[in-house]
Amino acid sequence: MRAKPSRAPMILWQGLLGAAFLLFWQAGASLGILDKFFFSRPGDIAARVWQLFAAGTVWSHLAVTLLEAALSFGIGVASGILAGFVLARNHFLAALFDPYIRVANALPRVVLAPIFLLWFGLGIWSKVALGVTVVFFIVFFNTFQGVREVDPVIVNNARMLGATERQLIRHVLIPSALTWIFSSLHISIGFAIIAVVVGEYLGASRGIGYLIAQAEGVFDTTGVFAGMAILAAVVLLVGWGVDRLERALLRWKPRAAASREVA
Amino acid sequence: MSNVTHQFAGYTAVEDVSLSVSQGRFVSVVGPSGCGKSTVLSIAAGLLAPTSGSVDVLGNRLEGINRRAAYMFQQDALLPWKTVLANITLGLEFRGMAVEAARGPALEWVRRAGLEGFENHYPHQLSGGMRKRVAMAQTWIVDPDIVLMDEPFGALDVHTRLRMESEILGLWSGSGKTVLFVTHDLEEAVALSDEVVVLSAGPASRVVGSYAVDLPRPRNLIDIRTDPEFNRIYTAIWRHLRTEVLKSYAS
Repeated sequence: MRAKPSRAPMILWQGLLGAAFLLFWQAGASLGILDKFFFSRPGDIAARVWQLFAAGTVWSHLAVTLLEAALSFGIGVASGILAGFVLARNHFLAALFDPYIRVANALPRVVLAPIFLLWFGLGIWSKVALGVTVVFFIVFFNTFQGVREVDPVIVNNARMLGATERQLIRHVLIPSALTWIFSSLHISIGFAIIAVVVGEYLGASRGIGYLIAQAEGVFDTTGVFAGMAILAAVVLLVGWGVDRLERALLRWKPRAAASREVA
Repeated sequence: MSNVTHQFAGYTAVEDVSLSVSQGRFVSVVGPSGCGKSTVLSIAAGLLAPTSGSVDVLGNRLEGINRRAAYMFQQDALLPWKTVLANITLGLEFRGMAVEAARGPALEWVRRAGLEGFENHYPHQLSGGMRKRVAMAQTWIVDPDIVLMDEPFGALDVHTRLRMESEILGLWSGSGKTVLFVTHDLEEAVALSDEVVVLSAGPASRVVGSYAVDLPRPRNLIDIRTDPEFNRIYTAIWRHLRTEVLKSYAS
């Protein structure tokens, strides 16, 4: 897979770019060009991340955030795929719901956070609800599209070979929609985490978002950046996992995910 | 098939087409591009319901999918997410056979189609000719009474095409199956068929001629094209088809 000759040097260049960026940041902040109060320093941030993990305080927050993200991802994906399939197969329902789905999707999700806080309280469920509203629409639209765009020749072939409606769904529609669903999973896993963190930020007693809000409250820029760094690492790690899963499930595709390979 | 008319949103593809194919015969339908050849085939398959008229299959009125028929498509119709073996097994699986039980016959068809060693390949890893072989095995494994073919070899190069035609004839001869074969290539039609039906230029095409091809069987497809009798039949049909082709140019 990594036969491309330019690959190894590119990793080097990418690493150099990152290192240069951090170096300038560090130097700028140390020399007083950047205000340490507002920008902190990469070294301090790294030390803080280390300290958070070493002291163990971050684990419970991370666990809460991941639990919320996993729940909103799971519920959002399941309901999105289900709704996408039903509406894609039923033209009447699709037409009926179309304007309402558009309206619901047009709503910025952040404004829902306060209402969810009122409805579901400060615990994890208000965050999960927020995450679900984000994940659901991404997965729903992709599934809908995926099922609608199945090659009609393949559908006809399966029907001529004697497929019942259920066999058609299992052997043709689901595999065909999987490509679309997977591309939505990549996006929605990131958005699920962002949504729950926003929810925590706006009102919670635990979670990474809460940590960031706390740090911000006392003008602790290093703490804010440390929270961001941890979040970014987690999103990358989870995305890598989805990639692996996708490559296993979409083995039949020519050049599957080759362009998005993670080292 | 009697008095079949089909319209797509105001466009009349075929009008008042009547076509009768006796059991066990190999019948080709030829006509200029866009004359509704594929429409006729889709109606015979039950994939399209005719706007008016009806189709009778082996004495029964056709409603919904034609269960006695298999269909070889012009385009790639294999399931790209299934291996060669899984694609071939599909028809048996859909008919309720357990996958393990269907494996034996499927492997037999892998052998007959000359695909040994490629059982676990995915369609995109095969050449166009090999994909057609898989499609052939996929449609013939269910042992249909009727085989409908829609320019199945149109996209292949001349040599691969000749081989596939020979293999189809080999499969068909002595099988008692009825074949309805759609093509724009009159040579192919004459070489393979017992009967060639000519459709008029579209829109609203109809059957304008039917020619018996009484060349002896088994036929050698490599040499048949230089046979004087082949040429006599070909020329006769071409005179007729030519006027339809010219009409389709004019419109």
